[in-house]
Amino acid sequence: MYPSVSGNIQKYVVHRIGMPSRDRSFVPPCQATCPLHMDIREYVDLVAQGRIMEALQVIRGGNPFPSICAYICTHPCEESCRRSQVDKPIAIRALKRFALEFGGDRMIQVEARTAHSEKVAIVGSGPAGMACAYYLRNFGYPVTIFEAHSELGGMLRVGIPRYRLPRDVLDVEIQRLTRMGVEIRTNTRVVSLDLLFDMGYKAVFVTIGAHQSLRMGIEGEDSPGVIDGATFLREVNLGLKPSLGDNVAVVGGGNVALDAARTVLRLGARKVTILYRRSQAEMPADPAEVEQALEEGVHIQFLVMPTRIKRQDGKLNMTCIRMELGEPDASGRRRPVPVEGSEFNEEFDTLISAIGQAPQTPGDFRVRIGRGSTIQVDPATLSTNRRGVFAGGDAVTGPATVVEALAAGRLAASRIDDYLQHRYPSLDKGGRETLVGDLLPETVEMIRKIGRIEAPLLPAEARIKEFEPIELVYDWEAAVNEARRCLRCGMGAEILFQDKCATCLTCLRVCPYHVPYLDTMGTIQIPADQCQACGVCIAECPAKAIVLRKPYDRRHVTEELDHVLKSASESKVSPLIIGFCCQYGLFGTGTLANLWRVAKAGIWIVPVLCIAKVEADHLLRAFEIGAEGVFVAGCGEQCARENTVAWVHNRVQKARKVLSEIGLEPNRLQTYVPSATNAYPAEWLDGFVEQIGGLYLASVIMKEVKVDSR
Amino acid sequence: MIVAEQKPLPEIRRMISPYERVLILGCGTCMTVCDAGGEREVSFLHNALRVAQSKGGNEAHHFLESTLKRQCEPEFLEMLVDKVGEVDVILSLGCGIGVQAIAERFPDTPVLPGVNTSFMGISSEQGVWDERCAACGDCRLEDTAGICPVTRCTKGILNGPCAGTKNGKCEANKDMDCAWVLIYKRLERLGQLEKMRRYYPMRNFRAIPRPKRLVRTPVALGEDDG
Repeated sequence: MYPSVSGNIQKYVVHRIGMPSRDRSFVPPCQATCPLHMDIREYVDLVAQGRIMEALQVIRGGNPFPSICAYICTHPCEESCRRSQVDKPIAIRALKRFALEFGGDRMIQVEARTAHSEKVAIVGSGPAGMACAYYLRNFGYPVTIFEAHSELGGMLRVGIPRYRLPRDVLDVEIQRLTRMGVEIRTNTRVVSLDLLFDMGYKAVFVTIGAHQSLRMGIEGEDSPGVIDGATFLREVNLGLKPSLGDNVAVVGGGNVALDAARTVLRLGARKVTILYRRSQAEMPADPAEVEQALEEGVHIQFLVMPTRIKRQDGKLNMTCIRMELGEPDASGRRRPVPVEGSEFNEEFDTLISAIGQAPQTPGDFRVRIGRGSTIQVDPATLSTNRRGVFAGGDAVTGPATVVEALAAGRLAASRIDDYLQHRYPSLDKGGRETLVGDLLPETVEMIRKIGRIEAPLLPAEARIKEFEPIELVYDWEAAVNEARRCLRCGMGAEILFQDKCATCLTCLRVCPYHVPYLDTMGTIQIPADQCQACGVCIAECPAKAIVLRKPYDRRHVTEELDHVLKSASESKVSPLIIGFCCQYGLFGTGTLANLWRVAKAGIWIVPVLCIAKVEADHLLRAFEIGAEGVFVAGCGEQCARENTVAWVHNRVQKARKVLSEIGLEPNRLQTYVPSATNAYPAEWLDGFVEQIGGLYLASVIMKEVKVDSR
Repeated sequence: MIVAEQKPLPEIRRMISPYERVLILGCGTCMTVCDAGGEREVSFLHNALRVAQSKGGNEAHHFLESTLKRQCEPEFLEMLVDKVGEVDVILSLGCGIGVQAIAERFPDTPVLPGVNTSFMGISSEQGVWDERCAACGDCRLEDTAGICPVTRCTKGILNGPCAGTKNGKCEANKDMDCAWVLIYKRLERLGQLEKMRRYYPMRNFRAIPRPKRLVRTPVALGEDDG
């Protein structure tokens, strides 16, 4: 280090003081919609940078059993993803699965120690019960789970087919619970809560799920050969193999109906027909799964309802009636109305009715039961009418999703903690604002359209042969490229220092998305719901008044540079070459990470989140600490944004001018962008290193000549 | 707005060479807008000087950087009082006005101009500025359809165009519009061509005393009531 440099460093950073370290970003819609409020934007961004372990940490921080969600989450986040206004939503669930598989989730151990003496009983071991046990154990309570079946998992075990959720995934999560010290009692049906209190439990969480199938209420429903969906799936999942015959009908249009139909196929039935009384648009099942089921050969008859079942000669003779759609009902879907005189008969071997389920709460629990046999609770505290008894999951909501159950379990854990510690429930008001508002058409127009990369599926013929998981994991490059599509909603640029802003309109003029605008007061506004966080205005603002909303992004380049400079100054290898490389593309997909490993020593890489964020200052700083050569490497055609390179070229030109003014060769500073003629970064880098090596050698010789001549 | 251009790095290096501790002082108004001396340029110049010094120069400067909202106001300059004691020289990236304001306020500290103050103008597009006003003190824009012949005509003539106009361009520079053709076209558009037919007498610039001073006379309280 040069003495003047080290003596000056404090003053150099002085202008950065006063930057708030608080996260000023908005909560993106994906996070707002997620019942667990997972920090989706954060982990998707980390995947895009190829930082999978950190992504996994973020995921585990927000979800007690992420591997389960990675397989079967209904991903409401994807429904609310703003990318769907551009093309298609980000494949968030598949990215989560990628992060878990590649980040080594199975190796992670969770530990907990006992800090309280109050015992808590959890009745039912479904996702809600497991989540509640996980968090209560983390708080330090002794927890016991009571499960009526022989194995833990509730609906995850007895309801979800194995091809959707492999059982080893579930077992790993359950093993973690046991290792945390959760006591588990299987084959134990709780009939009375009083007994639990007598046994010394101070609080009880009732999460018994909704396992009781609803009845169709038609003649002949109790004939042999008619089975309800929940029972059927339970039997198959617990290892029985019910004999079904060749021609099976499934009544209903929800996920259970689909699970049942696809399970029947895998058990070897020749023909499976789903009978649904409305049309495809009204089907409550996940559309992707409907599609997969059709691929596998499941037949679906829409607008049909059975009215009578008669058993004849070992077969079921079913009378059905055709329906048409009438006025919308309370659920907003159009009500099916029978068409007079459209009855027809059909013959099946077996009929599975999967038209819905309800909880069945033992009367001795003495908790108040409300609509649809669900347990009534206070939605904010999940407490029932009985002191110390809390309830959640499907038992309270009726059949719902796993992520909702996990959220209920987490909420119950903190409310039970409040209750046992005699605290007023600390209701979370939430700190940051949620991002609202759609993208404007002019913003959408400027966003580069990149289609969604779907996770690969097994071919349909292979799927129906057995119960293997049907969805495969992304490879590294596909995952990074999919994650890069994220629009980073709500974490864009803001004018942090309005008093510094000279209203020069640079941001308005340089924004690739036409986001900043002048309001009627003549003040520049950068609407958070439109900004794409590309960073061009930040690097161009002559007053340095604009920053990114997330503190990490604000400091990123400077910090990484400092870090590299520190390490580089300790290395003795000459010549020193510093490269600013896009962390998303070249680096994230491993191209440059690879280079870094094989490249000749003396090359140091500063990963940047898109080269548009590299300022001319950064380039000069690299030279100042002794770099003989500096390069900026972007992703070119791969880039998720248009035209980032043009801005970098400008800044490189500006810094080059300085180099030539102080007598250095301007080609010590170069830009590399892969293109058709220049597609191999390794080759290009070799050339650059050679060039710099030559210049360096020449300068050393010159110096020695000077010394000699003195 | 005042438009300026940063001086070439070698010239700045030459200017600061006798001094050890240098305060690089930016200006947050016009110089920021014209990319010559805002906070970003201050920081860039600072970095450039440090690279120059670390790459073989014999200088050993210590730099301080700071940016004021406006250098041309005494109150803003008060904020520098502590810093000025620590430095040997102030390298001002303000316009010529800022440099002189600093010289007046801090008589014991040398001040150096870091930019060449060029003109008063507008930014026609991102990164391009054009001169529009010469601050002559006698505005004629009413008669010339809002287009100033003093600045935009190479000769600055008041009764144009001259014989050097060709295809609407100036004989001095074929890429430059002839200001008087622009004036004619705009007057035609406004239906005020009779203004072209008038003769405007030459002005005696000697009669305008320099430096100019403007004093806004305060209205005494109660005077209006008569």
